[in-house]
Amino acid sequence: MPPLLQHAITGFIVLNVVIGLVTYVTLLERKFAARMQSRIGPYYVGWPHGWLQPIADALKLMMKEDIVPAAADRWVYNLAPIVFLVPCVLIFATIPFAPGLGVADLNIGVLFFLAVSSLEIVGLFMGGWGSNNKYALLSAMRAVNQIISYDLPFIFAALVPVVLAGSLQMSAIVEAQAGFWFVLYPGLGQLAFVAFLVATLAAENRVPFDILEAESELVAGFRVEYSGMKFALIQLGEYAHMIGTSFLGALLFLGGWLGPGPAWLGPVWFLLKAMAVFLVVTWVRWSFVRIRVDQILAISWKLLLPATLLLLMATALVVALQGARV
Amino acid sequence: MSDLSFWAETGQLVRAVGRAMGVTFRNFFRQPVTVQYPTVKRVYPDRFRGILALAYEKDTGEEACIGCRLCELICPPQVIKVEMLKAEKRNFAKTFTLELYSCEFCELCVQVCPTDAIVMLKTFDLATADRREMLLDKDRLHALGLQHEASWATGNRLRDMQAPPRPAKAEARGPGTPGGNADAREPAE
Amino acid sequence: MPETQDRQVVEIGYGGSERLVMNMGPQHPSAHGVFRAILTLEGETVVAVDAVIGYLHRCHEKLAETLTYVQYPSIASKTDYVSAMTAELAYVASVEKVGKIDVPRRAQYLRVLAAELQRIASHCLWLGTWCMDMGGALGGGATVFLYAIRERELILDLFEALTGARLLYGFHQVGGVRYDLPAGWAARCRQTLAHIEGRLAEYESMLEDNAFFLVRTQGVGVISRELALDVGVCGPILRGSGVPYDVRRAEPYSSYEDFDVQVPVHAAGDCYARYRVRMAEFRESIRLVRLVLDGLPEGAISSRPGVKSVGQVRIAKGEGYTRIEGARGEVGCYLVADGGAKPYRLKWRGASFSNLAVLPHIIPGHKVADVVAIMGSVDPVFGEVDR
Repeated sequence: MPPLLQHAITGFIVLNVVIGLVTYVTLLERKFAARMQSRIGPYYVGWPHGWLQPIADALKLMMKEDIVPAAADRWVYNLAPIVFLVPCVLIFATIPFAPGLGVADLNIGVLFFLAVSSLEIVGLFMGGWGSNNKYALLSAMRAVNQIISYDLPFIFAALVPVVLAGSLQMSAIVEAQAGFWFVLYPGLGQLAFVAFLVATLAAENRVPFDILEAESELVAGFRVEYSGMKFALIQLGEYAHMIGTSFLGALLFLGGWLGPGPAWLGPVWFLLKAMAVFLVVTWVRWSFVRIRVDQILAISWKLLLPATLLLLMATALVVALQGARV
Repeated sequence: MSDLSFWAETGQLVRAVGRAMGVTFRNFFRQPVTVQYPTVKRVYPDRFRGILALAYEKDTGEEACIGCRLCELICPPQVIKVEMLKAEKRNFAKTFTLELYSCEFCELCVQVCPTDAIVMLKTFDLATADRREMLLDKDRLHALGLQHEASWATGNRLRDMQAPPRPAKAEARGPGTPGGNADAREPAE
Repeated sequence: MPETQDRQVVEIGYGGSERLVMNMGPQHPSAHGVFRAILTLEGETVVAVDAVIGYLHRCHEKLAETLTYVQYPSIASKTDYVSAMTAELAYVASVEKVGKIDVPRRAQYLRVLAAELQRIASHCLWLGTWCMDMGGALGGGATVFLYAIRERELILDLFEALTGARLLYGFHQVGGVRYDLPAGWAARCRQTLAHIEGRLAEYESMLEDNAFFLVRTQGVGVISRELALDVGVCGPILRGSGVPYDVRRAEPYSSYEDFDVQVPVHAAGDCYARYRVRMAEFRESIRLVRLVLDGLPEGAISSRPGVKSVGQVRIAKGEGYTRIEGARGEVGCYLVADGGAKPYRLKWRGASFSNLAVLPHIIPGHKVADVVAIMGSVDPVFGEVDR
């Protein structure tokens, strides 16, 4: 089989698995949040416990009328969901779910992931601008501010395991954690993981950093003029990015597919770890109020960026002093 | 906030974050407070003000309404319309219409009724897609009264609640008659 | 007072063409009802606010002229529908004052009981909606909202056992109250209060030292003492700006003189100060309810009992203004009676109406995100504003 066809088929399978995972992760989040709020969450659709709720939501969104504002910038408005979705799903191309099981285990895997995932900001801004709506515009401006500010600490925090492992290739990073996971590395590991989580929260527009979609101020922010399938694409992209960074966090810090048991259990462990990261982020989301955009930027530039920079330099120093590999 | 040193502030932030997440974590394990209506119905208190209905007299089984139109007079949004029918021993209501879609559920009509004819029921479940179904006529009101449990608060009981119990008069009226019982106003603790 | 009459505009340097006029319209998740704020923005900073009200006007004052003194109390609860007991109390208290009608002691204590429980319930709603505005309907704010509503539902259950209704009670009538306590209600009330006290401690621990909460509320929306007195705000906003004025202490009504009402005051004048005032009012109301339950006298619950309660009341010619301390501030009714069974004129003084007047003075200069924080801490209810 020509390698191009092989990769295309693997890519297609991974894409479908990812989309299925993303839809059911929304259900997981809703049930988890509901339990924390003394309520039950989706229950009746797909009784019990709402197993068919994501399918119902997807069907509803597909059948909804697609309303395009008359004064919207047509091309920008229509292309924005796609430009937003593509990078968010493309990041899954570099994640290996098990040794040898992945679309493309690039030797610059982490770099590709981080670079592509920051392309979503273009789609976001296109959505905000093309909607011809002051709320959307305000949200888009805040979004550009915030995501650009938090990309740097995100990258530096993600680089700490790269320095510890000595490679940008994701499978190599996982294999370097065969001894113990990077999150258990004294001092540096935990701090880097916390910085990674905080930067993830901000890069994903999750509370306490969700000023750009601020339902109580901007009523869904840049998504406010989207309905139907375009909105579904944006939701899909957001949650796909969310899951993607959870997988990255599990891979970089929690040892990826390493775990007790036979080798085929590896992807299961990986999924569980990624879900654990996702649930911690969700737990934070449902516990705090949001902070203002200037406070968000202050935290990023004055606190998180210097801190992650120092962390990276400290890690580099430690690795240089101890030799190549940990 | 900036009077603390950097480490003290960071420590405070970590503690505060931990506390807030601890509260949500604790609530994760508490029983949800959801009552899954309509499969499960909540227990309604005795005095629940639900939809209105007309009652029959307990001893004779006749319609309790004497068509006096006091409820029509007192209703603030004027949703009740009554026509009196004169008869030999007592009067009746010829027609009795109640526009439930405009009713405020203020219980004034119940409070004014001298014969405990109009009562409120311990249910509110009359949702419908057609508003005309909520224009209740006399037959519908009587049927509703038979279908559901009535609230404890009938006219006489409401009026008697407002004065301290008078034991002498209660015995003069005899036990078992509405309005003369000692339980008309339960004592507070 | 020229400053308070001019439209307040803050100049931050960008000037005319960089300004964006954005409408936080009557349909908005944080409008707390129907409120239209036309914001003029420069970037993220609000430069001017034009407030538009009147979307909930239902002609209460005209309606009162067409309804008798017996019929109107249950309508009165619809002005401040979140704090219905105090709204009804304002009306019947003014009727009783103009008509010189006595209210029995037990009824007065029951009125205090209802008003203080209602204050707790109203503040629960305030806390929940304020945190939701600041945290988002899909974020941590919704968590606090659901917790606060969970506690409010317990109080509403108590009211349901007492009157039969959960939101708009019709509990008060001219001359006293309509319902007396059922058997076992006092014990249940005490249990609920103990439960709420425990949960309050939990919410405070969630919000109190939380850096995110503090940066959103401290220093935001500062109302100076002079501004508060100039504009005429009332209630927790006034007390959060350092003025120790509470109608329950200044002009005690309905047996409040029997209870030593402690009035919490904070001098800072920002959203955090108003938050602290309301949290202290929670505890004070719990204490007052316990005192009432301990000392409830026996007796009639109305000076117009039985059939008289539904008969017509004729109030002799006269006029007068009565004020009470509602959950949002001073609620008052100015009644002009002409000897008949219906008022000649009724004027409602809504607490939120006066409180909203301070918004164009304090919002300019803040960011858009602060607008919702400030509005939530002012806690308007538009039934009171628009009547």
